[in-house]
Amino acid sequence: MSGRRRPPGRTGRNGAGSVLRLPSAKIAVGILAVVAILAAFGSALAPQNPLAINANALFQGPSAHHLLGTDYLGRDVLSRLMAGTRLSVLTALEAVGIGLVLGAIPGVATVFMGRGFDFTVNRISDALMTFPYIFFAVAVTAALGNGLEQAMIPVGILLAPAFFRVTRAATLEHARAQYVEAAELLGASKLHIIRVHVLRKVLPNIVVTTASLTAAALLAVSFLTFLGIGVQPPTPTWGGILSSDLDYLSQAPWAPFIPGAVIAVTVGALNALADAFRDRSTSGTLVPADPIIHFDPSVERADGDRQSQSVA
Amino acid sequence: MTAAPVIAAGAPPLLAVESIDVTLGRGWRANQVLSGVDLGIWPGEVVGLVGETGSGKTTLARTVVGLVDPTRGRILFEGQPISALRRRARRAERRRGHVQLVFQDPLRSLDPDLTVAEIVAEGLRIRGEADGEEIRRRVTGALDQVGLDATVLERTPGQVSGGQRQRVSIARALAVEPRLLICDEPVSALDASSRNHVLRLLRELRDSLGLPIVIISHDLSSLAGIADRVVVLYRGRIVEDGPADRVFATPRHPYTALLMVSAPSVQDDRPFAPRQLRRAGPGPVPHAGPGACVFAARCPFAADVCAAQPALTAVGERWSAACHRHQEWGYLAQSANPRQEGPAHAR
Amino acid sequence: MAIDNRSPWPDLVPAEDTAAHEVLRLDDLHVSVHDGAATAVRGVTLRVRAGEIVGLVGESGSGKTLTCRAALGVLPAGCAVERGSVSFAGTDVTALPRRGWERLHGSHMGAVFQDPASYLNPVLTVGYQLAEVLRVKLGLGRRAAHRRALELFEAVGLRQAERVFHQIPAELSGGMLQRVMIAIAISCDPQLLVADEPTTALDVTIQAEVLELLRQLRHERGLAVVFVSHDLAVITQLCDRIVVFYAGEIVESGPAEQITQRPRHPYTQALLRVASVGDFRRRELEVIAGQPPRVGADITGCRFAARCPVAVPECQVRPVRSVPVGDQHEVRCVHASRAVVAS
Repeated sequence: MSGRRRPPGRTGRNGAGSVLRLPSAKIAVGILAVVAILAAFGSALAPQNPLAINANALFQGPSAHHLLGTDYLGRDVLSRLMAGTRLSVLTALEAVGIGLVLGAIPGVATVFMGRGFDFTVNRISDALMTFPYIFFAVAVTAALGNGLEQAMIPVGILLAPAFFRVTRAATLEHARAQYVEAAELLGASKLHIIRVHVLRKVLPNIVVTTASLTAAALLAVSFLTFLGIGVQPPTPTWGGILSSDLDYLSQAPWAPFIPGAVIAVTVGALNALADAFRDRSTSGTLVPADPIIHFDPSVERADGDRQSQSVA
Repeated sequence: MTAAPVIAAGAPPLLAVESIDVTLGRGWRANQVLSGVDLGIWPGEVVGLVGETGSGKTTLARTVVGLVDPTRGRILFEGQPISALRRRARRAERRRGHVQLVFQDPLRSLDPDLTVAEIVAEGLRIRGEADGEEIRRRVTGALDQVGLDATVLERTPGQVSGGQRQRVSIARALAVEPRLLICDEPVSALDASSRNHVLRLLRELRDSLGLPIVIISHDLSSLAGIADRVVVLYRGRIVEDGPADRVFATPRHPYTALLMVSAPSVQDDRPFAPRQLRRAGPGPVPHAGPGACVFAARCPFAADVCAAQPALTAVGERWSAACHRHQEWGYLAQSANPRQEGPAHAR
Repeated sequence: MAIDNRSPWPDLVPAEDTAAHEVLRLDDLHVSVHDGAATAVRGVTLRVRAGEIVGLVGESGSGKTLTCRAALGVLPAGCAVERGSVSFAGTDVTALPRRGWERLHGSHMGAVFQDPASYLNPVLTVGYQLAEVLRVKLGLGRRAAHRRALELFEAVGLRQAERVFHQIPAELSGGMLQRVMIAIAISCDPQLLVADEPTTALDVTIQAEVLELLRQLRHERGLAVVFVSHDLAVITQLCDRIVVFYAGEIVESGPAEQITQRPRHPYTQALLRVASVGDFRRRELEVIAGQPPRVGADITGCRFAARCPVAVPECQVRPVRSVPVGDQHEVRCVHASRAVVAS
């Protein structure tokens, strides 16, 4: 018998297709698809002008005209949320992108590049992990000017260690495999080994980390915009809307729940997607099946093999 | 062994292992796995390398191919030292494909995400000298040599049987046209019939290609019918090295004899029973101090002279054993303890 | 009880077949896998008496392991006994609930499997794990359990038992771990020991020692042993009776001497040719042509016919029955029944 056992009925290799079978993943993907569309076309799809002030319609509750009501300046809340999606989401992605590049590439490289390099990069990563990102973001904004895109750069840098550690751990697991030794014996260069044997096995871990760190970046964006860093009013952002709603809590106690829910649901969807990817991805290593739990006699191969644990 | 090679006296070996020591691990975990191992492999011969767990046989194979560096001694291929090569030079030497190793466990040594075609072609792709058409031709050729047909080309290792995986592993090594093949326990994980299938395959490779093959095994009896020569390792030292026929007929080292009689058999025609070749029981071992014969602690025939590690001495033509008492222990075994044990049903 | 004087140990050979001496009995056992999708074990009838060592031999997928698991009540998920019965010491246990099996396990039947390391907790000392069994199953106090554990370790040939007691599995070799497993299996003095390929992963010298240990235990305790292996050489070295499995059926069974000297089934004969691994003088590497059928495959007539060198059309017409051809020697072959009828 061979191979890790899957319950009968599940066919196909692991990948995007199989992830979508989980109901939680389906919901998550649905939510994120909506968010993505809004990020791309939010301003165009908004029913009202998000910047239109209407002094006669302050703090209105949900109605046919304003589906989510209006805010302290009479602006349509729904339209503001939709328009604000773009900035929040894109800057979150920017941070994750920076973190991915700065983290994953060294993560793979340190395994193959010798002890000195490995030690140095590890210490840099450790150091970065000690930085609190808010202060760092504030400092950079103060230095580089008040743009959200600039503020997310330090966030990205501080996300890199997480990518680094996950990628490095995954690469280590595969870099010492026997098939890598076999490739070395054929004279393979390190690049060949990475390209052919390591990359595709490390990708699932990177995907999972990307999904969950996007959630973290989104929270970071919301927090920064909540503090007013990086954006000038009247530009709508989720965190900014939340912040101003809290200022007027007495007049509209229901108001902060709306942007709060939007942030929470999006972050939750990203985490659910990350979980789904994690559950589905195997490392691809064939492990001899445990005879008690995974014994599947009908799949035993017919030409006479048996499991042997003998070690030379 | 119809094609057993006749080796001219004094002919240089294809592979020469010269007095290597190998230590694994660092600091307090350091463990000397091989001590003073001298070995030569000549073209066209099938050499069985036998030892128990911990004897160092896999480490010896890994040292020969350069996955492990010896702390002392060197390894030469066709007279050229290869153990001291590093990095680029080592990669270049490997790309020439002189010595190939077939790992013990094909489940671990075949990348589960690649197809059989990709696995077998890897060595050729790394060399970069052949184009797609040529590579395909040589892959199917290698698979043909191991008795697999084109249907397995697009399968992954998980989709073929254990015996077939073993063959894919061998095909990968053959694709680069090696001059020496080392197989680490190629049949240990297979049952009797599949075992013989694979051994037959190896024998055919030697017959048709003149390819010298080293077969590593923990069971001496699985080498009967295929090995021209056997080399017995015990705790990092060679204790016997000689022609298979003659070693099987009259082993000169008590450990070799112990290995032989321990192998279960349908026939019951052993000269000794395992009990005759084991120490009687627990208790102080007088001759097993440091520097003593590595087998003294287990040897029922150990004497004062065994307090010094014996060197490999010639006991016949191209036959050597590392035992001070190689001429007398056989008589001692017979006279002291006449054969008294049989299998469950005596004949 | 007849005494066998041919070997230095006067092994007790069980005499007449009386139900009181019978430790395990399988009657026409059918086991299905994959929730009934296929039948992997068909019509297995087997009897093990006290003090007997019975060897089950066959290729991978032949059903010998499933049969053992059915006998132990540890069939994996999706597998079930479809037909037939399992009796232990005269009591039908086929439909025994979990609790019933828990009472049997350890105190009446013990088991040893191929990879001892995966059956032991890697962070606890082996002595603790053995003592735990003694405390739970026999209700011994701590000190008594410790003493008994040391006795058991010595009984299975582990020298320096006190030292081994305090070691964790990672510190012990495969052979020593297997001895620990045997110690645990016999700790509560069971009547039956089932060993599924226990020596397959061990070095040949250690294997020889473990086989000797099993015979010694049988001699000292009257333990009945069911020994499963794909290696006929090991089976003949150890067992009084041999049962040959092929494709889920028993094709031949009988006393070891009969099976090795006068095999009547073509598959047994082929196995003997192939399994001459212990013969250092052989030159030929025998193989059995073809492959066994897929587990649970639907085949009319003899399941070996496709690979059989002496198959005739009659073989594939209807299911072949097992017929006696000698003293406790049965064969499932058309040629055998013809010979018997003719005589």
